[in-house]
Formats: sequence, structure tokens, C-alpha cells
Amino acid sequence: MSEASEADEVARGRVFRDLVEPEIEVMLRVARTLTSGNADAEDLVQETLLRAYRGLHGFDGRHPRAWLLTILRNTNVNMHRRQRPVLADDDQLRRESRPAFGTAERQSAEQTFIDQELDDELHAAVGALDPRFRAALILVDVHDLSYAEAAAVLDVPVGTVMSRLSRARDRVRRALATTLPTGGLS
Amino acid sequence: MIGMVRQMLTCHWSGRRIERYLDADPSAPLTQAEVARLETHLASCERCAKLADQHRALHRALSLWSGPAYVDPAAVNRVRTFLDELTEGRA
Repeated sequence: MSEASEADEVARGRVFRDLVEPEIEVMLRVARTLTSGNADAEDLVQETLLRAYRGLHGFDGRHPRAWLLTILRNTNVNMHRRQRPVLADDDQLRRESRPAFGTAERQSAEQTFIDQELDDELHAAVGALDPRFRAALILVDVHDLSYAEAAAVLDVPVGTVMSRLSRARDRVRRALATTLPTGGLS
Repeated sequence: MIGMVRQMLTCHWSGRRIERYLDADPSAPLTQAEVARLETHLASCERCAKLADQHRALHRALSLWSGPAYVDPAAVNRVRTFLDELTEGRA
């Protein structure tokens, strides 16, 4: 390799690293939602990084998270071509998704009671959702993805994410109507 | 009677925009006029204000749900090491 092309390669590596490093955690979270376990999630993220690095020349520099999540979704499909994509199935939710409310702050006994009630009811309500609605809810409200990023993961239009999200929220909100604390707790 | 129908229509109009208002997602922004109309309505309609409160509370509950959101810091470090190796031509 010539000195110039070696310098290009170093610069390319640095650009890629700066783009990707801030997204590692969200990629792992989304990968765990798409796969059935932590080890699979790590494999998926590493394979995604390999493919993204190879395809860096075709990236326009805008919305790196959506770009990486699109590659993540495609990589997952390719790695499990024979399997139907799994999106946070019920067993996984039961095993891993115990809500933990108010862990970062001190709270009143009353609030602790409300949160415990909410914990159980939220878990049941989210678990009862159709997997497609649940995936939209988890990606946007738990993983904090934008509509466009969730659309990239699910391979559906933004409008579909919005309608699934709205239906999911509506069902969970109605199921929790008597428990959800309102007024001053937003 | 007309006032009641108008109020119901505004509630319906607002109900269809509350989530977009609270999410403030760049893919589906409300116009300034829509935001102003919605905020005026929320200030005067108890039912819609309660709906907005429920959405805020639900979002708070879901954002604190640590199960799906938890990522093992060791996994993040392993991926970071992989990224270093990849970009330094060692992977």
C-alpha cells in the first residue's frame, strides 16, 4: 500500500469510528430486541459494523443512526434467512423486561406503591400487544428512537410506525388508565 | 348545541395530534398554528388535558423500563474493541 492510500485508509477508519462509536449502545439494545439473546445481539452488531465499514463509501454522512440500523436490520435478515424475524417475543419480555421505576431518584412511599402497581400492569399490558405494535412501542418509547429510525429497523414507512405506535400506546394507556399517575409527574 | 359540537370537533382534532405534539419528532412536525391551537385547547379542555397527562405518564413509565433498555457495559466494551480492531485493519 502506498503512503497516500495508507493515509486515506487511516482517515477512513477514523471517520467511521467517530460515526459509529456513539451508536454502539443503541445498536446493542435494538439488536437484542431483534434477536433472542445477548450473545446473538453482539454477533449481529459486529457483523453490522463489518458491513457498514465496507459500505462506508456509499453513505452520504446524514443520519448515521438510521443508516446503521438499516444495515443492522438487513444483516439480521441475512443471518437468519430461514427464520422468521423475531421481535421481542413474549418469553423474552417475561424473562428480561422487568420494569424498574424511579431507580435514579428518591421517591415517596406513595409513589413507590404506584410504581409497583404500574410495573405489573405495564408488563402485562405490553406483553399482551400484537408483536408488531409492541415492537414500535419498544423502539420509540423504550429505546428512544425517532419515527424514521424505528421505520428503518422495521422496514416499514414512517406512517406505519406512527399508526402502530399510536395503537400500541392507546391499548396500554387504556389498560393502565386507573394506575397511570397524572398531574405533575410528567 | 353548536358550541358543544364545535367543542367535540376540537377534541377530536386535538386527540389526533396530541402524540405528535408530545413526541415532537422531526418526521412529523406540527405547524406553529397547529401547536398554538392545540395548546389553547389543552388549557381549556379538562378531558384532553387529562389525555395528554396520561400520554406523558405512559412515556415516563416506558422510558424507565430498564429490562429492554439495559445493555451490559462489558458488551459495549467488547464491541468498542472490535470497532478499534476493524478501523485499524486488525479485524
